[in-house]
Amino acid sequence: MLSCGLRFLFGQAGSASVLLICVFPNPLFAQTSAEATSQSEMQPYAEPITHTDVTIEMVPIPGGTFVMGSPPSELSRGEDEGPQHKIEVAPFWMGKTEITWDQYEIWGENIDIARRKIFDSPATPNDEIADAITRPTPPYTDMSFGMGKQQNPAICMTQHAARMYCKWLSAKTGHYYRLPTEAEWEYACRAGTTTAYSFGDDVAQLDDYAWHAENSEERYHDVGQKKPNPWALHDMHGSVSEWVLDQYIPSAYSKQTTLVSNPLTVPTVLFPRVVRGGGWDDEPGMLRSAVREGSSEDWKQQDPQVPQSIWYHTDAQAVGFRVVRPLVVPTAEERAKKWDSTAPPQLDPVVE
Amino acid sequence: MKKPQTSNTSRRSFLKTTGTAAAATTMLSGIASGAHAGEDNVIQLALVGCGGRGTGAATNALSIDAGPIKLVAMADVFQSNLDNSHGNLVKNFGEQGKIDVAEDRKFIGFDAFQKAMDCLKPGDIVILTTPPGFRWVHYTYAIERGLNVFMEKPVTVDGPGTRKMLALNELALQKNLKVAVGLMCRHCDARRELFDRVQSGEIGEINMLRAYRMAGPTASAAVPPKPDGISDLMYQIKQFHGFLWLSGGAVSDFLIHNIDESCWIKNAWPIEAKASGGRHYRGDFIDQNFDTYSIEYTFEDGAKLFVNGRTIAGCNSEFASYAHGSKGLGVISSQSHWPSKARIYKGQNADKANLAWEYPQPEKHNPYEAEWEHLIAAIRADEPYNEVERGCMASLVTSMGRMAAHTGQVITLDKMMNCEHEFAPGIDKLTLESESPLQPNAEGKYPIPYPGLIKNREYA
Repeated sequence: MLSCGLRFLFGQAGSASVLLICVFPNPLFAQTSAEATSQSEMQPYAEPITHTDVTIEMVPIPGGTFVMGSPPSELSRGEDEGPQHKIEVAPFWMGKTEITWDQYEIWGENIDIARRKIFDSPATPNDEIADAITRPTPPYTDMSFGMGKQQNPAICMTQHAARMYCKWLSAKTGHYYRLPTEAEWEYACRAGTTTAYSFGDDVAQLDDYAWHAENSEERYHDVGQKKPNPWALHDMHGSVSEWVLDQYIPSAYSKQTTLVSNPLTVPTVLFPRVVRGGGWDDEPGMLRSAVREGSSEDWKQQDPQVPQSIWYHTDAQAVGFRVVRPLVVPTAEERAKKWDSTAPPQLDPVVE
Repeated sequence: MKKPQTSNTSRRSFLKTTGTAAAATTMLSGIASGAHAGEDNVIQLALVGCGGRGTGAATNALSIDAGPIKLVAMADVFQSNLDNSHGNLVKNFGEQGKIDVAEDRKFIGFDAFQKAMDCLKPGDIVILTTPPGFRWVHYTYAIERGLNVFMEKPVTVDGPGTRKMLALNELALQKNLKVAVGLMCRHCDARRELFDRVQSGEIGEINMLRAYRMAGPTASAAVPPKPDGISDLMYQIKQFHGFLWLSGGAVSDFLIHNIDESCWIKNAWPIEAKASGGRHYRGDFIDQNFDTYSIEYTFEDGAKLFVNGRTIAGCNSEFASYAHGSKGLGVISSQSHWPSKARIYKGQNADKANLAWEYPQPEKHNPYEAEWEHLIAAIRADEPYNEVERGCMASLVTSMGRMAAHTGQVITLDKMMNCEHEFAPGIDKLTLESESPLQPNAEGKYPIPYPGLIKNREYA
């Protein structure tokens, strides 16, 4: 069981470390509620991050089918939201909220490593694996843009940074975390609904559920303050737009003619990639469940360095992400081919 | 729109940050000037210092619409820096024919700047974007060659360097060279309108200003132990934010913009600084920086400018500047450098109900490009354009705050200007094999400030 948990990180090469895990049992696995072998066993749980007092709350999302996209009759609808088509999605856990600064900066600013040093706590085997995963270069600016940190959503990261965070979180916890696919995201956002928003079509109710341009006072707010959707997820509408794994292709839906299971448009170019859900700076129409938005090079306008950083979108001040964890952990091969696949490679310039 | 800042206030009046162009400038005959008057002549660029900002500055220069321009020579001390930079520029501008840097116009070494500048004709532009410790060395040669210059901020890191730059600049003024300094906030449309409004009394008398650059670990300010296989000299250059002789450290490199924009809006330079700061989390890091800096500047009229700098992970962040006047509050910058979101409030609270004016959003005009538009316009029109004196003053004022923190003493502007601690004597004679001007102790750590123990210099 223990080795299964980590095998996805190593593939075949991981046997030595797996042995270590057996010598130093991972306390996480004592938390039975985080483990499940079938959908019926899935429970909400809080994923602790070692050497910190931070946890990430996860809620189960049952597998199922849904109709993706919006009908032509929907108000503010974009062409790229159709045609509607049927999608099947396998079960997963999803972050109850977007990743917060408290959760993000542990990785982004090496808080876990600093706390280990200062408080003299030895690294766990998982820490050692996690430490080897690339972290962002220090930025030149305040990436919270004066809007506060802690329980506020982390922003301004590139999709690459969000992907690397997931990779680090996976190593750190022994659970496979990744960004949701665009289909998983919309499925979870809709939570069984077929209306423009997960609470219906009445925009007048939006303030109860979301931070957007008309109620945000031009800044983000602590996550989880607004009402959740039917599946207990907060801030799927508004707060910050959320990275998903997919390349943004406006006509993507027109190719889906039969029922598709777990679709993913693996990205092959850097721009545009998909964000979903709208942010604190968006008008209500941009917060609908079906809205698709593509990233753009303009999101780095403020970065005066060339090449511009692979880690920061200085102008994406309403873009963040949340994580998912599939019930069935894909094999190393499946991950390489599909779930973790992205191109071109993102590398910092090396000066020697 | 306001005209570009062309003023170069005389040193006697340097306590005013702006003013009408010194009469002397216009009286002096242009020697190298006029070479690119008009729109049709190709301006050639040489890039000296091919790091991220140097490549960014070249990118800005090649992006704007201001007549034909191309890059013809590059210089650095790291081959990989030059190669990365060239690769990126070719990718972005190669098809437009704006990159014309043959292999024999790529130069590596501490004398590479001369060779790169030798590829230019008088009136072309050299971009000086190495760490600022080298600025006076490179500026000396640029003036000798009659080149126009874009130099990144800061322009000096210590007292002796500032005196040298100001003296050198007299020669540049005599030759009517156009010289820009990368304090791009001064070229921001929103801030320029705020400046005009403040000068016309919209917030009353400015009694207090506040500026913050409080963020997590920034750039190369925290330097890990030096690995084997690289000399102290080359390692320090690679991690230049960590070392005072190269960059002036975290204060000079990071805080200068907020200090400069605050002084600009106040329209004065402070005459004195006291400050505190300390090293709480330096652990194994071997650089010379503090984790925190709190500086109190005093202006001649008694008004104060409080500056807070911090590079500690996990803390609240703020990156902004504010001017408190007797009638209102001016927000100079809100979040980082751009957009500035400049605005004015009645009273002292940034409360929406009190909003008296705000610059229309979004701000489309990137100040990093605006500073190039203004420079090239001056070159094409052959108008006086020299920002070095105010660049020197902004650098010196910033150093004054840094020295106050590093020594624990009150530092006056006069004292800073006349300070004899030259961080890197012989910087103009370095070679790739030289010993660094900053030597490590037996543990591989470099000298750091000891406030109260070392008082007349920042480290020993």
